[in-house]
Amino acid sequence: MVKDAIKILLVDDEPLVLRSMEKTLLRAGFDVETAGSARAGRFRFEEARTDQAPFDLAILDLHMPNLNDQDDPNAGLQLLSVLLAVEPTLPVIVLSAFDEVSRAKEAVARGARAYFVKGREAGLVEIVNEIFNP
Amino acid sequence: MPQNTTIAERRAALLHAGAQVSRRVISILDPEELLQQVVDIICDEFGFYYAGVFLLDETREWAILRTGRGAAGAQMVAAGHKLKVGGLSMIGVATGQRRALIALDVGEEPVHFKNPYLPLTRSEMALPLCVGDQVIGALTVQSTEEAAFTEDDITALQAMADQLAIAIHNARLYAQNRHLLAQAERRARLLAAAAQVGRDVTSILDWHALINETVDIICDAYGFYYAGVFLLDELGEWAVLRAGRGEAGARMLMAGHKLKVGGISMIGTAISQRRALIALDVGEEPVHFKNPYLPLTRSEMALPLLVGDRVIGALTVQSVEEAAFSEEDIASLQAMADQLAIALDNARLLRDLEVAHAELLRTKTFEALATATLEAIHWIGNKALPVSSSVARLRTDLAALASADPERVASMQEDLTMIEESVRLILAVQEHLIGPAREQQPRPTLVEDVVKDTVARLGLPAGLVQYTVAENTPLAIADSTQLGRACGYILQNAVEALVGAPRQEIRVEIAPTNEGRFVDIRIMDTGPGIPEAELDKLWAAFHSTKGATHAGLGLSACVQILRQIDGQITARNVPGGGALFEMLIPAFSGELPMTTLPHGRSILLVDDDDAWSRWAAATLSGAGNQVARVTEAVEPAAYDLILVDDALETADSTALVKQLTAAGAGGKLIVVASYLRVERTTALLQRGVRDVVLKPYTPAALAGLL
Repeated sequence: MVKDAIKILLVDDEPLVLRSMEKTLLRAGFDVETAGSARAGRFRFEEARTDQAPFDLAILDLHMPNLNDQDDPNAGLQLLSVLLAVEPTLPVIVLSAFDEVSRAKEAVARGARAYFVKGREAGLVEIVNEIFNP
Repeated sequence: MPQNTTIAERRAALLHAGAQVSRRVISILDPEELLQQVVDIICDEFGFYYAGVFLLDETREWAILRTGRGAAGAQMVAAGHKLKVGGLSMIGVATGQRRALIALDVGEEPVHFKNPYLPLTRSEMALPLCVGDQVIGALTVQSTEEAAFTEDDITALQAMADQLAIAIHNARLYAQNRHLLAQAERRARLLAAAAQVGRDVTSILDWHALINETVDIICDAYGFYYAGVFLLDELGEWAVLRAGRGEAGARMLMAGHKLKVGGISMIGTAISQRRALIALDVGEEPVHFKNPYLPLTRSEMALPLLVGDRVIGALTVQSVEEAAFSEEDIASLQAMADQLAIALDNARLLRDLEVAHAELLRTKTFEALATATLEAIHWIGNKALPVSSSVARLRTDLAALASADPERVASMQEDLTMIEESVRLILAVQEHLIGPAREQQPRPTLVEDVVKDTVARLGLPAGLVQYTVAENTPLAIADSTQLGRACGYILQNAVEALVGAPRQEIRVEIAPTNEGRFVDIRIMDTGPGIPEAELDKLWAAFHSTKGATHAGLGLSACVQILRQIDGQITARNVPGGGALFEMLIPAFSGELPMTTLPHGRSILLVDDDDAWSRWAAATLSGAGNQVARVTEAVEPAAYDLILVDDALETADSTALVKQLTAAGAGGKLIVVASYLRVERTTALLQRGVRDVVLKPYTPAALAGLL
């Protein structure tokens, strides 16, 4: 098991969601860092690379403040493209309250590895594990 | 009459006898009784051998013997003895010439009819019975003595005959008046009953209450044995019993009793001919429907229920008495039926208005919810996710603490269960709102495929669902994902209704309807049916018949989904039990565009042998492609394109996709589904399939896919 080595960047503007998912992932044994916007997420991502401790996986909310701190329903896709431009192999899970197939397909087309609908029974931890242990 | 008296004494005696006769007959008011007694009175008072009364028939051509003294008289009456007015008989002359005749030696008299019933007659006098200028008949008096009468006797006996004629006339008038009075009384009683029914029925505004109470109101007001109300069905082909008196009515309602309009039944005839019918001896009446539930009926009247020129049904009223109704009753009973028809129509309009109002409210409620959905879903998802995650973590923590304080931990676990259930309902609301909130993308859709995919997606046991699909069913115009969602709600409802049912079966019937303008999907279960009181409330947002564990939004979502594609959904119970949900989807009526499909390819269809795969295989083959259909993984190298149906009834599509992608076929593998789900789509894309798309139902859509 390589869980201890897995470092996750979790980006969401909902503090409760953020903290809840952080706790869930921490309990599952992952190393988690959080950010409340796309801009803050990109900052943490770059900071970690600078620190030679890059993230193994990113979980990005779709609808949150974008890189310019503007409320944006596609902020997660924007950040996804930025992160993958820097690190093309980074596994990214897109997180959304919307189960729109077209948006999910767009996320996958942009390189997302999974699309997680908030509130669905499918567990986030299972999705993460699936990515690292297919 | 003694012969040895003086003329004066004889005249006095005759006048006295005549006065006695007059006094006695004038007091008898019943015509039949008068005729019965008069001949005896005359014979007794005058000492005649025989007396008989003839009355003219309606044609005034015959004098009919109506009564005669003794056995001879009875025999002649029974034999229908009659004499021609103006004929050769004494009665014929008396009535024809309005004068009295005497035959003193009857054996020699040429005008006398030799009557074998009265062989002893030796003298006879025939006296006309006149009222004013009109002859009404004649009286014959006969004696066994020869020359018993003289011309002098005529005056006295004619006076008596005149009195008798007046007495008969008066008795007839009296009888006629009594009949008219009885008629007037009956008419007044019927009109009073009609007024009572009218008052009662117009005071009931609720349609269900009105239709159910009407039959009792009518029977109570008129004293009928049975009353039933039939209303026309939507197509106007059948008169369906909607209310019936008593146990018989209840049983016929249970049996779904209906009669063909224009058929041989009285109801069917009354409706088609828009007129009242009477059957007075229903056992013999050819138009009467011999009804085993109403064995005592001897008279029946069927009255059309008319609102203006429109017939809405018919009313049957039945009596245990033969000949209980007359033509004269029709007017008053039809007046009652007219009032009933108007009351029923008004109540129906009011009910329709209420239903429309409730529908509007329901729609607005759901629209209001759906309008806010995009924000609401975001909000609900964000707020609910931490709750369920937190509950999961707390459960883990509590499990570790269980040994410290088991009771308290058990209580906390119970609280967590309650929180979990609440969150589950909140998330269910979110799920229900997701579908209708989206803009639909209607397209020509194979309804049969959508329904069968839904059954496969729900994982219903094999054999639970039985299909009947009409061969000529056209494509419908629908968003297959949303239609699948609606079918899913209805099928899930059906499955839940079957819990505990002795027979567990779901029947799906798909057929064109409304002259091919709609595709009709009927989903029936063998459960207990929907409580009548719930039928109108089913569609209300947040209303559930299944208690607090259901959000009560599924059927509201169905209404919204169907409304968005100009379809409709209704629910009712079927006779014999079970619920029926019926969806009408607009049929695709345009011409499919000419399409040139790619050809010369080798295509593998991974699908059940169903309507869609047969259509797709035929279409692709017809365009010049090699097509194979399988439900198992095969060596993919031989194929240019692989189409996998995501909803397989006889195989596991996930496992097949795994095997095919593992064999390196992901780049030419397209998963098709009538219902796209985001997790499934992303999972399949992650697995390396080329695409996950909506299933094509037209050559153009198939060409687009290729």
